[in-house]
Amino acid sequence: MSSNPLVQLQGVAKSFGRRLLVQNRSFALKDINLTVNRGEVVGILGESGSGKSTVANIITRLTSYDEGRYLYDGHDVAGYLKSESFGFKSRVQIVFQDPYGSLNPRATVAASIAEGIRLHQPQMSKAERDQRVAQLLEEVGLPADCGSRYPHEFSGGQRQRIAIARALAVGPELLVCDEPLSSLDVSIQAQVLELFVKLIRERHLTIIFISHDVNVVRLICDRVYVMHEGRIVEEGKATDVLSHPQNAYTARLLAAVY
Amino acid sequence: MAAPLLTLHNITVALRETGRRMVTGVGFTVHAGEVFGLVGESGSGKTLLTRTVFGLQDDTHLVDGTVTFNDKTLPREGYASAARKLLGGQIGFVPQDPFSSLNPTMRVGTQITEALYLAKGMPMNAPATRQAAIQVLAEVGIPEPELAFRQFPDQFSGGMRQRIVFAIALAQDPKLLIADEPTTALDAITQRRVIELMLDRCRNRGMAVILISHNLELLRQSVDRLAVLYGGQLHNVAPASSIGHETSHPYTEALFDCIPGKDKTLADIRAIRGEPVGAGFGLKGCAFAARCRYAEERCRTADLPLNDNSSTGFTACVLGRGAPA
Repeated sequence: MSSNPLVQLQGVAKSFGRRLLVQNRSFALKDINLTVNRGEVVGILGESGSGKSTVANIITRLTSYDEGRYLYDGHDVAGYLKSESFGFKSRVQIVFQDPYGSLNPRATVAASIAEGIRLHQPQMSKAERDQRVAQLLEEVGLPADCGSRYPHEFSGGQRQRIAIARALAVGPELLVCDEPLSSLDVSIQAQVLELFVKLIRERHLTIIFISHDVNVVRLICDRVYVMHEGRIVEEGKATDVLSHPQNAYTARLLAAVY
Repeated sequence: MAAPLLTLHNITVALRETGRRMVTGVGFTVHAGEVFGLVGESGSGKTLLTRTVFGLQDDTHLVDGTVTFNDKTLPREGYASAARKLLGGQIGFVPQDPFSSLNPTMRVGTQITEALYLAKGMPMNAPATRQAAIQVLAEVGIPEPELAFRQFPDQFSGGMRQRIVFAIALAQDPKLLIADEPTTALDAITQRRVIELMLDRCRNRGMAVILISHNLELLRQSVDRLAVLYGGQLHNVAPASSIGHETSHPYTEALFDCIPGKDKTLADIRAIRGEPVGAGFGLKGCAFAARCRYAEERCRTADLPLNDNSSTGFTACVLGRGAPA
């Protein structure tokens, strides 16, 4: 595989609790080494409490880490100013699990989507911006003229589409998706999954797909990291890991899948 | 074949306040020792149906239909209390959330001996009752059952708590166990363990089970027969083994096709377009017609067929797709 790493976590650890008292600290993550190459779709698979969402939050800089190094496109993402010097915020976007909690209920859909554009491309005129929002809505499978409506007027699946459009608005190269399907109804999950497949094919995005659903990860990810109790227990090509697991925990997890 | 253990015939459930009919014309049978699945998306009415039929829901009532359990038809007058009398005796119930269904201030042992007292009149403090409780804790796979007997629910994980709830149900020696999404709050590995243990113990005792879930794949691999609800209508009753192999009701087929199962590739997955309708669609027209790939004009207006329970299979498809052979 060509090595063009976009995200590199080197020995990253994160603990919660009082910092000075070592015995009171509980480790959420220990010694995480993870690489995501440009253009890859990488899955992070684990049960609840395994630390997969903490990894997502570190990669998107929503939370800090205590030890190790995080390199983004070769830059050390240590401080805020440093990361803004290479435009981190417009290059990395996140889609959350719960589309009911992640959209501002008092902003119209168009305003939510346009907010990032206004911030990162202030030179864009209003007309251009409106056109861009309409394009994005169409791309995620919503009517282009629904921008003036509010989130509560949409179903869960439609809201998740809006959240995806908002993430795409600033033209990111990396999309971190934290359980984007789990709060949706079964028949809607398949629709949003189809949207992800379309985005992967058309946009050539780098995607980190965090999920507890082995079958979804197997279908769309190139590579997968399996997490258990704050550690990465196995990594490799998704088809290999999920058909011939080497680790005992991965094997147990796969055997439990319906 | 012997008479079924439970027969629902043309059950219609309505809200007390508005009279809106949420679940309409549902009928199916569950035989003694059979593991029966009830599947539907959220809002399809599966929980409303079960909770009303077994007298657990206060804001809904049965407006039509008959329920026969163990050869006795439940009376229409005072239905809820008659149905509730069966619970905790002949019918055991395992609700969804093991974190709120146990009494946090009572020791696990007491909660089981209480069930033994209420169902079988065994004195709560007698050594024999205690022994019976410990035995049932061991049966559901709790390690160190003597110790668990003295502990409180908060000392157990979600999976272990659900086993304790199951133990309480088993202690009453019911003929039928109803489990409403018993593993939705649990992780994958725990989920499989709890489901397998539950069904294994029930099959060993010859108990019938109604397993309610939104997860068609889980049911398909676990139950004997299953009923499919959509929009408060009963759409399909079919052997679990037929799904994905034989022609099914279009909704069952579509549901199966949109689940990323173990052996599927991306090409096998076909999303259902549109949004699911909630319960309360009524009986005029098929609730799924708006999303169905086979739908014709008459699907939207025809009266939906009712299950007369004359056979073990049933399809409500107006076009007759998935009719039992």
